[in-house]
Amino acid sequence: MKLGRIAFRNIRRNKRRSLLSGTAITIATMFITFAFSLIAGMLGDYESNIVRYVSGHVRIRNVEYDENEELNPLHLSVTDYEEVVRRMEAEPEVAAVVPRTRFFTAIYHNDRTYNGMGLGVDFEREKKVMKIQEALEQGRLPQMGQKEMVLSAGLAEELGLGIGEKLTLLTKNKYMGMSGMTFTVTGIVRFQVAGFNESFFLVPIDTTARFLKMSNEATEVLIVLNDSKRVDEFAEKAAGILASMGRENLSAQPWTKIGIASGYMQYAQTAYDVIALVFFLLASTVIINTTMMVIFERMREIGTVAAMGMTPQEIVRLFFLEAFFIGAIAAFVGVLLGIGITIPLSKTGIDLTRSMEGVSLEISSVVYPRLNIRSTVFVFFYSTAIASLASFIPSRRAAKIEPVEALRAI
Amino acid sequence: MRRIALLILSFGLAAALSAWAITAEEIVKAVENNEINEEERIEGSMIITDRFGSRVKTFVSYASGADKMLLEFTNPEEKGQKILRLEDEIYLYFPEAEEIIHLQGSALKESLMGSDFSYEDLTGEGDLLDLYKVTLLGEETIEGRKHYHLELKAKKRGLAYPKQEAWVDAEYWVMTRANAFSLSGRLLKELEIGDIRVVAGKYVPHYVIMRDAMKKNSSTEMRIEALDLNAELPPDIFSLEELTW
Repeated sequence: MKLGRIAFRNIRRNKRRSLLSGTAITIATMFITFAFSLIAGMLGDYESNIVRYVSGHVRIRNVEYDENEELNPLHLSVTDYEEVVRRMEAEPEVAAVVPRTRFFTAIYHNDRTYNGMGLGVDFEREKKVMKIQEALEQGRLPQMGQKEMVLSAGLAEELGLGIGEKLTLLTKNKYMGMSGMTFTVTGIVRFQVAGFNESFFLVPIDTTARFLKMSNEATEVLIVLNDSKRVDEFAEKAAGILASMGRENLSAQPWTKIGIASGYMQYAQTAYDVIALVFFLLASTVIINTTMMVIFERMREIGTVAAMGMTPQEIVRLFFLEAFFIGAIAAFVGVLLGIGITIPLSKTGIDLTRSMEGVSLEISSVVYPRLNIRSTVFVFFYSTAIASLASFIPSRRAAKIEPVEALRAI
Repeated sequence: MRRIALLILSFGLAAALSAWAITAEEIVKAVENNEINEEERIEGSMIITDRFGSRVKTFVSYASGADKMLLEFTNPEEKGQKILRLEDEIYLYFPEAEEIIHLQGSALKESLMGSDFSYEDLTGEGDLLDLYKVTLLGEETIEGRKHYHLELKAKKRGLAYPKQEAWVDAEYWVMTRANAFSLSGRLLKELEIGDIRVVAGKYVPHYVIMRDAMKKNSSTEMRIEALDLNAELPPDIFSLEELTW
């Protein structure tokens, strides 16, 4: 009789044992499949948030701004930013271009001051990039040129401010002097990133320029591309365009090479790799443990087949095939279940709001797992291989035992 | 306005003193009495230098006695901004703001217009002899002129400068140098005063340079362009109501 048929018969003969072993492999595989999807979702989400809120795919700034960023040097700006925006918008690879002005500020309200992070934006253009309209929880977006603002939900709560109420911003202007301006709150936004909800607010970029004494200047111009894989290539092209415009004082950097963004990305990637490794080890331990336990408890059976003339090599192959069949079927079911869990959650998302409180990393409060076919196929083969290989240790040991010894066991 | 040194700093020690049998307390009392004018008006400028270069801010200031001072910026970038001091309270007015800002707590430690002075430096902190234990350390010659060397140690906690050293010109009876230190003895600020002129029978410094020792390559020079020690100021100029006009 062929070993494959014997292995199948053995699997069917003790259904409860096979089911136990298979269930462990299924659960472990399902867990890894889902964990990989969750991690892929988090990394994708991180990248998306960096592009939307922090740097775009390519960021244009004054070369000296980066060197002095901690001092918020508003005089080291992108002058005549509208010319730069229009020029970049004309490129076919470009999906959107947005000018932004970042500034640190003190918020004065009810005789108290609070720290805030202001962002002067072009609300119409930002509909394609930051998509503020989707985050708008109450009220409306500010009108350009008006002394209006939208507050992040956390900041609005901290200040105890609602729609129609006013606050005064105090900040250092372009000439390092002080500026103060009173703004009316027209809307409250809840950003996807928990960290942004604590101190951010948005004001029209032209009003910001007036407030900070910056005429037609922005601290940065962000470019979002149609194809995110061509970031480096376009950054070089953008640098060439800036040079041709006589704007050698401006640099175009891909987001992957921007200190904070790439640093966070590497940090996130490392953290997720560690989490994935832990998941893998846990799942592998379950698979190996179950497979070995099932074989060790069959010592008497091993003795019997050995006494009937089966060679040690055949015994090892028999158990390998058994483990392989169980592993393949269970891993397949596990992958299917993992996909089954991931698909609905990739639409509804997983709400991490409470666990993300106080976290300043650009990770959304609601994470959407992303199914990755390559990693899912890998998980299937990995689980099958682990289950099969795990059979070698106990079966080789069992095959070396004399039939009489094996028959005595249990 | 009280002289620039007092206007800007609690360092303020400039005096006309009798030259004999001097104690540290007498020097300080005389300096304070001498610096306070009934009503004064000053036009001045501030040159702020840091790693990014130099910027000029111009201002007009008004003062009445030791407790009231109004500073209004006249340079184009900050035109119309006002700082009102009433005793130890500081209020800011910005033309684009709909409310008056009452500076309190840590906000007082912020830089004044990006200069080496802080808002805290504008506050009088009261009578120096009530706040500091003053010791006359001796006599020194600075740039060929005889000076008295004073040490001021804070009597209570919470003062901007727990320890100060000051040098008073023994002929002009004007403080020409001062250093301020933290509680641990770290140098915080250095002040030099010069261009002393006689105005209405008083020796008045027309030039001040301040260096914040915590900032690299940073200094702020202040110059008095015009000074009127007998100015007739409008009534209520030092009120919150008038601040917005």
